[in-house]
Formats: sequence, structure tokens, C-alpha cells
Amino acid sequence: MKDLLKVKNLKTHFFDKKQTVKAVDGVDFDIRTGETVALVGESGCGKSMTSLSIMQLVPGPNGKIVDGEVMMGSKNLLKLTENEMCQIRGNEISMIFQEPMTSLNPVLTVGEQIIEVITYHKRLPRKEAVKQAIELLNMVGIPRAEEIITDFPHRLSGGMRQRVMIAMAMSCDPKLLIADEPTTALDVTIQAQILDLMRDLSRKVNTAILLITHDLGVVSELAERIIVMYAGQIVEQASVDDIFDNPLHPYTQGLIESVPDIEGEIGRLNPITGNVPTPEQMPSGCRFAPRCTHAFGRCFEEEPVLLSKRHNTRAVRCFLYDEETGVKNVTDTKNTYS
Amino acid sequence: MLSYIIRRSLMAIPLLFGITIISFGIIHLAPGDPTALLMDPNIKPEDKVAFMEKYGLNDPMHIQYLKWVGNMLQGDFGQSLIRTGTDVSYLIVERLPNTLFLMLVSTLLAVLISIPFGIISARKPYTLTDYSVTFTSFIGLATPNFWLGLVLIMFLSVQLGWFPTGGIATLNEPFSLWDRIHHLVLPAFVLATADMAGLTRYTRTSMLDVLKQDYIRTARAKGFKERRVVYKHGLRNGLIPVITIFGLMLPSFFAGTVIVEKIFNWPGIGLLFVDAAFQRDYPVIMAVTVIAAVLTVIGNLIADILYAVFDPRIEY
Repeated sequence: MKDLLKVKNLKTHFFDKKQTVKAVDGVDFDIRTGETVALVGESGCGKSMTSLSIMQLVPGPNGKIVDGEVMMGSKNLLKLTENEMCQIRGNEISMIFQEPMTSLNPVLTVGEQIIEVITYHKRLPRKEAVKQAIELLNMVGIPRAEEIITDFPHRLSGGMRQRVMIAMAMSCDPKLLIADEPTTALDVTIQAQILDLMRDLSRKVNTAILLITHDLGVVSELAERIIVMYAGQIVEQASVDDIFDNPLHPYTQGLIESVPDIEGEIGRLNPITGNVPTPEQMPSGCRFAPRCTHAFGRCFEEEPVLLSKRHNTRAVRCFLYDEETGVKNVTDTKNTYS
Repeated sequence: MLSYIIRRSLMAIPLLFGITIISFGIIHLAPGDPTALLMDPNIKPEDKVAFMEKYGLNDPMHIQYLKWVGNMLQGDFGQSLIRTGTDVSYLIVERLPNTLFLMLVSTLLAVLISIPFGIISARKPYTLTDYSVTFTSFIGLATPNFWLGLVLIMFLSVQLGWFPTGGIATLNEPFSLWDRIHHLVLPAFVLATADMAGLTRYTRTSMLDVLKQDYIRTARAKGFKERRVVYKHGLRNGLIPVITIFGLMLPSFFAGTVIVEKIFNWPGIGLLFVDAAFQRDYPVIMAVTVIAAVLTVIGNLIADILYAVFDPRIEY
């Protein structure tokens, strides 16, 4: 599979008078054509900011992308002018959001909001765009599309609105769909339908999906590859199977253990203690060390790097895995702090 | 929609009656009567009584009111007590268009100036532009209308001679549009400033709030340029709360004309009202009050209809 998007050393910081918040702090990953990649982590770990940085929709004026590259083919998106970027957004990369209730414009009809994307990017005459909008609504499973098209968003349910968002996002056959917690605000039965819909559509037109979520259930449903973020950095990258079968980073292990297992015995959950560090109290060594049950001396002094030596398909940022061998360093784990 | 307008208009009828009862009562509570100002102080008491009798001013209040209402419902507002023999309806018909014209132009001026400035402010919050607009608004808010009017007359009319000092047209000259506009500039501007500051601030706040909404982010994510995002997706949402303020401002515009017309000697209904109030010219006062009340009710109705136009979530 070809690389569609390569993110290199992306840094997005927020500045205010007192401090600099490093929301995204040197993130590298790539997405291949047609692939579904999940970006996972707790609230505040920088996953949404990573996606907004790719779209260059970081809320200004405090937020700024300070470094890095976002390569799409031979183009570095971060070097494009605002006008050129407008050609990419909604066209080659589109996005859906967490809150379908508030993400649609309340004063424009559902149809208008889809049609305007089509006429804007594809430069089609309005009649043609209307026809396509109806097709899109049918495709995302909205009944009576011809009628819904003249309705305003407040008449639709949350699930319906998220379908409309998906129809809008898919209207120009994007190469990449960024879905920022697309099912978080929906109830469980609708969640599954929306996930199925996204999977079907992405297969149909070979659209890659960058799925941002904190819900590992959603991840296992949809994603092929997982990127785990913690405090603005990637801590582990692997295929879905590897992550669930053999999570390497203690943080990933913690995330998986904090999800109730339907087959396992019913016992207490093991949540990760503590909270994501605030920017003022960013630990000097490994950022996860203060919450880590395996942490040892070195973790508090040095910052580990993201390593992918032996594990070619996977990468992990942790001293437990020796730089040379890439296997678990047993002697060190015995020295755990608790 | 039509049935809503009819329903609202019917609901306005008891409201208008209430307004007339209260104003009728208040006006007659005020000390003095028309004879005090009108007549020769040496008038014989029996002549005074005859005058009061002629205009029904000796009747008990409720009888006076009922007589007045009865006549009004037949379209007869009575005759002016001061300008003897002149029908009040004639005075109103002569002057109301002048006032409505002044109000319309000032309202347009206020809207056309404040809303764009509010938007500019909201698009660049906490910048020099925003602070300048805010600063100017507050100066506008703090400046009394009558003072601004007098200062403008003093500088622009008296010293520089750019504008006439008052009136609606140059006397003894045939009608010319340019002359009308020339006379209109200052009063319309002064009247507009009264509500411009508030309208700018409300537009700013509302747009600032709207531009943070999720659907604005959606519009940006669709690749639209800033202008389309702000004007197509933001403005209509941003104007919904401004309509409320606008509806509340229409009556205050009418009140503003009272002062502005007095200062600029604008032959409108406001000037008529001030003079009538000082002279206790009851029929004129009541007629103007009724018209003001009707205009207020219409203003609110317009605001409510505009809601439905701007916000599809509202259905009548």
C-alpha cells in the first residue's frame, strides 16, 4: 500500500502570557491509502489537536503549528497558502466531529449544507449537486432523502445528523477522512451502525480513515493500526492484533486493562492511577513515569525515544525495551518503583 | 405565519386599551390644565368654566375617557385645545410621515454602521481594531443625544456652515431631494448614535459566540474561505439575538425622536408631542401616545416575524 499522508515531527503549541502548552510535541506517523488508523489516548493527550493540525484548523490566535511536516504526496500541507489549503479541506481530507448535535449549521437546510460542498469543490451546477446530495443521503442510509434534503438539522436525531455529517464529508470522495470521536455522543446501538457505515464507505471509495477515539471497543471494530498518544507524544504504534494481544507500553497495557472484559471473570477494573500531567508539571524524564507501575531510576532522568528496531511493524517509547534487542529488559523491571 | 400575525394583532387590542387607560390617567394626574397656559390671566371665571364645559373637561375622568375612546374608534381624535379648531388627526397626518422618515433613515443608518463594526470587532477580538471599536462605542453610549445634537449644530452648522441648523427643508423653496437629504443628515445621525453603540456591542458578543460554535468549525473543515464561513454560516446565526435587541430599540427610537426633533426643529410627531405636553393639550397627547403604542406593537411584531425568517427552529 502506498503512503497517503506522512506526519513528521509535528509540533503544535499553545501560547499565552504565562506559559507554552505543548499540545502536540513531535508526532510522527503515516497513513497508507485506504487504511484505517486509530489515534488513541486519554482526554488532553493531544489527539484532537493532532488531527486539527493536519487540517490546519488549530484554534487561533493562541494555537500555532510550530514545527514539522505533513506530507501528502509531494506536497507539504503546512507550506501551502490558506487558499491552497481550502482546496484540500473538505475535498481531499475531510473531517467529522464528536458532536453531531452542534456540528451542523442550524439555519441552513441539510441539503444546502451538502450541496454547497459539492458546488464549491467539484464546481458542478446546482441541479447536478442536488442529485448527488440525494444519492449521498441514500448511501449513508437516510430514508426519504428527497424530503430530508429540505429539512433543517433540528428535525433530525443525533444518529441521523452524524449520517448527514458523513455524507457531507464523503461528498467529494476524500482520500482521508478524519473522524474525531465520531460515535462518542451517540447511543450504543447507533454507534455500531455508524461504525459499519464508515467501514463500508471507506472500502467502497478506498478512503483512509484517521479515527480519533478513547474507546478501545470502537478501535477493535474499525481500525487496522493503532497509535497510542500520551501527553502530546506517541508512546506506541502497532497493528490492532498486536496491541490487544501483546501491548508493550505500560500505558497501553493500562488502557486495555481499564476496559471491562466480557469473557473474563468479573472483578475490579484496573484503572491507571493519577492524571495526565499538566503542562506546568511535565515530568522531566518519561512523561508517563509518575503513573507507571514499572518505572525505575532511568525513567525519571532521561526521556525515552520511540523505538522500532526489532519490532519492525511496531514502535514503543519505553526503557523497558532494550534499545539493541528490542525485547523486554527483565532485570530492570525488578527494580520497579511503586 | 399569517394566522400568527392575525393572532398577535388581536392580542394587541387589549394591550392598546390598557396603554390608553394608563396614559389617560397619568396625563390627567399632572397638575395644571389647558386654560392655565392658554388664556389671559385676567379671564373671567365664568368664561373659564364655559371653556372647560365646552371641551368636556369638567366631566368625571371615566366619562371623559369613554367619550374619547368612542370617538377614537370612529377615527376621530378630537380637536386640539391649543390650536383651536385644528383636528388632531390633521396634525398627525401632517407630521407622522416626517417622523417615520427620520426613524427609518436612522434605523437603517444604525444597522448599516453597527452590524459591520460588530462583525469586524468579533473577527479580530482583543486586537487594536476591536479595542478601537469598543472605545468608540462606549463614547457613543455615554454621550447624551441632546448634547451631541447641540455640539454638532454648533460646529458643523453654525461655525462651518456645512449643514442647516434645523428644519426639514429650506423655507419658500420648491421641493428638492438634495435639500431634504441635506437637512436630514444631522438629525438622522444623532438619532442613530443613541442605539448604535448598543447594537455594535450586541453584534460583537453574538458573533464572537457564534464563531466559536462547532458548525463554524465544520464550515472551515469543508474548505470554505473565511468570508464565506463568517457571512454565510456565521452571520445569520449571529443576528438572531440582535433581532431581540433591535425589537426593543424601535420604541426607544420613537422616544429619541422627541428629543432630536425638538433640537433640530424637525416638524415631526415628537416635536408635536413635546409642545402638547407642555400645554396640556390632552387630545394631541393621547393621539401621539396611541400612535407610539401602535408603532411599538408593530415593531415587536416585526421582530417576532424576523425571528422566524432568520431561525428555522422557530415555528408559529
